[in-house]
Amino acid sequence: MDMLTPDLVAGMVATGATTRVDVEAVQRFKVGDEILVRNINPRGHTRLPKYLRGKRGVVERDHGVFIFPDTNAHRQGEKPQHVYSVRFSSVELWGREGSPKDSCIVDVFDDYMDRA
Amino acid sequence: MNGIHDIGGMHGVGPLEVEKDEPLFHAEWEKRVFGIFFGLAPHGYFNLDEFRHAIERMGAAEYLGSSYYEHWLHAYETLLMENGAITAEEYAARCTEVAEGMD
Repeated sequence: MDMLTPDLVAGMVATGATTRVDVEAVQRFKVGDEILVRNINPRGHTRLPKYLRGKRGVVERDHGVFIFPDTNAHRQGEKPQHVYSVRFSSVELWGREGSPKDSCIVDVFDDYMDRA
Repeated sequence: MNGIHDIGGMHGVGPLEVEKDEPLFHAEWEKRVFGIFFGLAPHGYFNLDEFRHAIERMGAAEYLGSSYYEHWLHAYETLLMENGAITAEEYAARCTEVAEGMD
């Protein structure tokens, strides 16, 4: 974030401080791709919820490029990368307790996924 | 980190209660805590992800026993002491001053 001046505060409060960045990054996935979430358990910061790890989903949308929280939280660089909306079926996430009718869409960073 | 903040799928945490006509803030001090963020993060004291991680690093019992803006305050305390902007002694002294009404 740049130095904050009083005229910028109202906008920041209203819309939140985005971490979207205007740089190029490799787009490893495209809409429709089947992906497998990596089973990572870092001791540091991550935005990958436990319930997604090791699960399969389908890319629904590419949001563009954002700063990677897992490195930025530890001042290890911004590592800009794509963030995708990924759809996971309820049965994939919760097994027999899941509902065959339901699914869950989660925003997932590029680094958290491999091709299924 | 696999901390208490990541409760998706956990049983036994009770229903999600939606407050009717929820105000932006529930106490005057919450406004101050919210505002302090804008005096710190954009000026390089910490970034958004360090801030979130500082909240996640709270002890599990303390995390569950404190409110949303208490988490924010906890993160400021942790990060400002870790990066040397203030010392624990300075902070404790200032807390005492405020508690005694010297403002």
